[in-house]
Amino acid sequence: MSAHESSWTLRRLHAGELPAPEANRVRGHAEACDACGATLRSFADAQAAFEAEVPFEKFEAGVERARARQASTESRTQARWVRPLMAVAASVVVVLVLARPLLETGGRTDPLQPPVAGNRLKGGAGAELRIGGGVDPQRVASTDAPEALQPGERVRLGYTADAYRYVAALSVDAQGEVTPLYPESGDSLAVEPGVGQHWLPESVEFTGAGAERVVLVLTDAPVSMDALGDAARKAFTAAGRDVTRMAPLDVPGAQTQWVLLKP
Amino acid sequence: MTGPTPLALKVVPPRPNEDRRAVLRELYVKYGGSVRERCRYLLKDASRAEDAMQDVFARALVHGDSFRAEASPLTWLMKIATHHCLNQLRSEGAAWRKWFARDEAARSEGHGGAEAMETRDLVRKLLARVDAETQAAAIHYHVDGMTLEEVAAALGRSVPTVRKRLEHFAELGGEELSVR
Repeated sequence: MSAHESSWTLRRLHAGELPAPEANRVRGHAEACDACGATLRSFADAQAAFEAEVPFEKFEAGVERARARQASTESRTQARWVRPLMAVAASVVVVLVLARPLLETGGRTDPLQPPVAGNRLKGGAGAELRIGGGVDPQRVASTDAPEALQPGERVRLGYTADAYRYVAALSVDAQGEVTPLYPESGDSLAVEPGVGQHWLPESVEFTGAGAERVVLVLTDAPVSMDALGDAARKAFTAAGRDVTRMAPLDVPGAQTQWVLLKP
Repeated sequence: MTGPTPLALKVVPPRPNEDRRAVLRELYVKYGGSVRERCRYLLKDASRAEDAMQDVFARALVHGDSFRAEASPLTWLMKIATHHCLNQLRSEGAAWRKWFARDEAARSEGHGGAEAMETRDLVRKLLARVDAETQAAAIHYHVDGMTLEEVAAALGRSVPTVRKRLEHFAELGGEELSVR
């Protein structure tokens, strides 16, 4: 039998996981044993260094981003399994999804045509949030008033970049929690080449209930999602923590905001 | 203007409430340093280790009920962190070679004296030569300092199975990695 406690036992003591009698015995040993005392102190030092380098707020934001990423990956995996079973139904949906935008633009496919009920920004720039996937017909969300979502409805985000070179989008819920959407981390995305409207990948489903503000930002230079998130949190606080009353984020470039009311 | 084509779904789940925040803060205070240390040990890159650490704690939140029922959340977290990082290394394909190249840079990440450092380094060098389960067993036994019984419980294997895997691992590394 070893004269020393195992490093695992000492680590569990440090984490407060040992039952009281064992914790007392191990702690007593560590106080009298240089080697075990040093190991125990090294765990405390590592934790202190961690907390100094990664403040809780940064840690929390990172974990939430990881959660969103994992949820997104799981959804994509589930979608791949479901797709073969839904092949016949999907063919009908594809017709509806593709045909509807043509109907809404009067059948025109002019790339310079401004988006219907979307939002014109500087020059020819614009943004559009399209809702679909539910029972109701596909529609374009207004930027003037909150838009009620029906169960199962999803959104797609589109933009016309004009002279802007980067695009990013995030959402803020009624509690002021910010979710980076495009991209989920790092810096804003380079806009797609070519004139006209481009769609950001994937459709987005907002689960839960209450209001959700979606913000799309077009900029001349890349912007970090962390900075955009901070700007969104400041705007939320400045609005008295009312997500429906938020002002535009204090960031350069042009932006469009929509308020969605989750079912 | 062309319309959107149907693509994959991105789900934005409900955000954390205060209870979840409190749980996360407790995990941060008790286990943050240990999990980050494990990720740094295996990935040898501070930035990637931080991402991996966040993934591990996100899983702990997602599996909240089963996680809280664990007798040792530390064991659960270290097991998931080890598994996650080893998977990440495997998914990089030819990355084991690059991984060795990063070895020198990572030497300062450990602690516990020269002997412990040497064992950790030796274990890390040999990981690429064994299967996934032996990798995990070797890390828990030689780096974490778990007993055979604790390793067996963590991996859901019998003690003889774990012993056999560790003895095979020891054949690669010599006396320093003998199983007691």
